[in-house]
Amino acid sequence: MPKESKMALAAAGEVPYVPSDEDFRLKNNAGEIAIDTNFAAQSFWKDVLIRYFRKISAVVGLVLIIFITAMAVVGPQMNDYTYSGQNLSQKNLAPRVKGLENLGIFDGSETMNTTTGSKKVNYYQEKELDDVYYWFGSDNFGRDIWTRTWTGARVSLIIAVAAAVIDMVIGMSYGLISGYFGGKVDMIMQRFLEIANGIPRLVIVTLLLLVLQPGMLTIIFALMLTEWVGMSRIARAEMLKLKEQEFVLASRTLGAGSFFIIFREVLPNIIGPIITQVMFSIPTAIFTEAFLSFVGLGIPVPQCSLGSLISEGFNSFTTHPYQIVPPIVVMALLMLSFNLVADGLREALDPKMKEM
Amino acid sequence: MKKYMLKRILTSLFTLLAILLVLFILMQLMPGSPFNDEKLNDDQRLALYAKYGLDQPVVVQFFKYVGNMLKGDFGVSYNISKNTPISQLIQTRLPISIRIGGFAVGIGAVMGLVLGLIAAIKHDTIWDSLATVISVIGVSVPSYVFALALSYSLGFKLEWFPMLYSAKEAFQSSVLPSVALSMFTMASIARFTRSEMLEVLGSDYMLLAESKGISGSALIFRHALRNALIPIITVLAPLIVDLMTGSLVVEKIFAIPGVGSLLVTAIQSNDYNVVIALSFIYSAMYIGIMLVVDILYGIIDPRIRLTKEGD
Repeated sequence: MPKESKMALAAAGEVPYVPSDEDFRLKNNAGEIAIDTNFAAQSFWKDVLIRYFRKISAVVGLVLIIFITAMAVVGPQMNDYTYSGQNLSQKNLAPRVKGLENLGIFDGSETMNTTTGSKKVNYYQEKELDDVYYWFGSDNFGRDIWTRTWTGARVSLIIAVAAAVIDMVIGMSYGLISGYFGGKVDMIMQRFLEIANGIPRLVIVTLLLLVLQPGMLTIIFALMLTEWVGMSRIARAEMLKLKEQEFVLASRTLGAGSFFIIFREVLPNIIGPIITQVMFSIPTAIFTEAFLSFVGLGIPVPQCSLGSLISEGFNSFTTHPYQIVPPIVVMALLMLSFNLVADGLREALDPKMKEM
Repeated sequence: MKKYMLKRILTSLFTLLAILLVLFILMQLMPGSPFNDEKLNDDQRLALYAKYGLDQPVVVQFFKYVGNMLKGDFGVSYNISKNTPISQLIQTRLPISIRIGGFAVGIGAVMGLVLGLIAAIKHDTIWDSLATVISVIGVSVPSYVFALALSYSLGFKLEWFPMLYSAKEAFQSSVLPSVALSMFTMASIARFTRSEMLEVLGSDYMLLAESKGISGSALIFRHALRNALIPIITVLAPLIVDLMTGSLVVEKIFAIPGVGSLLVTAIQSNDYNVVIALSFIYSAMYIGIMLVVDILYGIIDPRIRLTKEGD
């Protein structure tokens, strides 16, 4: 009997319907089953590492930071020039590198634009400096740009470390304490924060640099006054989320003090967002320093930072463009790679968080 | 809502007053005197102090100062251009800065929205990756690097736009600085738009709208974008403020006679009054923008208002 008529009879209630083999088919869910494998238990940090290194841009960022840091450490020692040593007879020389010069690049020649047209000149040959090599060229005072660029990168990296420490110490503690104690303490601390946040950072920093002597310490102090706000907000929000949870209550009933609960119980649980925020605040700090140096309020001469190098190069960037390229490239790469690392860390530390 | 608005306005006013106090105290601590001329003898110096009211008690100076500031009377410039009222100095410069800043916000917002929309709609395709790369670069490369690059390539080499600002060609010479300034705004808005759009596109009401048979463009623009736009308004405020900082450097690079370059000159020549006045204007603008955005946000999205009141 054909199936349809069997079903019709069954529907009419005459014959009970007996399912046959052709009513069933395999689901073919091999693909779904394959996903369901068992993993060996692994720690949170190992998990984070695996997720982090799966992201190419994050790895690129990390490699770049390591490279720039290494160059900042060894770069200035790689030739005999010092960052402040001037040699006025060898000023404004174009980049020249041993070995590469035979290939027609970095051979010390540059194109000069004059009113009659542009021509190629090589000052090394004109001045008969056969055995002189400036890898990135020399500046207006005959200083080696290679050495100065990497010395300047040191400043940016120190600023980066300082910003991270400030974030961790001041911002985090402020937020955690404000969030934990709540009530009047929170009210007062948040009103203070609102006012501090209402003053543009630009105004704080410029005014501070007017009152104090320009220099590294002043810049760090300025960062200290401005940098903590963002971090304290994050720390407070995280604290508010966690402080009503059972493990905090348990710790408190066991007799733990506030200090212990804040820093030993809650802090390890919110370390992810904290680290991410630290990484994101570093590029801002580097930019602030470079910006101040560019405006002429940063590191005093003869010391140099990437910002002051860009500022110096800017004065002659139409005639000797090679002078401004190295500091700009290093600076941009540094900020870019910190951003990439921060992005990667955010995803690695909190895979559930929405993409941004 | 009224309570919330009142609270926000009061906080803003208090912040403004605190800023004035901080500015005033800092100015008192400042090294150097505005009258550095060695030819002046003590009597002349005292006479000058008396003329500018610097011999009165600090408290009196402060209240007089607050009153004057709020009236828009910022005093006179000591060094930059002697005895010119600062309000007059600023009057000519502020419109230039605001115009360039306004262009930058406009370009940045529109481009950022477009970029973010493309990335969200074409999620996980080459367009998405491209938009992400552009926005990462835009966020991490400082605006003056863009300014220098644009000024060198389009200004110096190709000569499409003037390298330096000139009042005669105000529009053409505003293009490069505005574009350079807008990069950060564009990148931030693109990132934000993308994440907000992705969230909205994945929501249940979008599924409902789609299953009701609403066509593609109406779906995106009428249903998705509207909801995604709300949070984007909040990021605009800090971005506008970042523009102020960026404008200092960009104004220097393109030699724009704006407020930013005035501030730099004033700082370098120890011109107290000008620095104080500009800091006040920057702060007032900042507080104003934050206030407007907060209130606007409260009107658009009642959830914010309610949670903030519950704080």
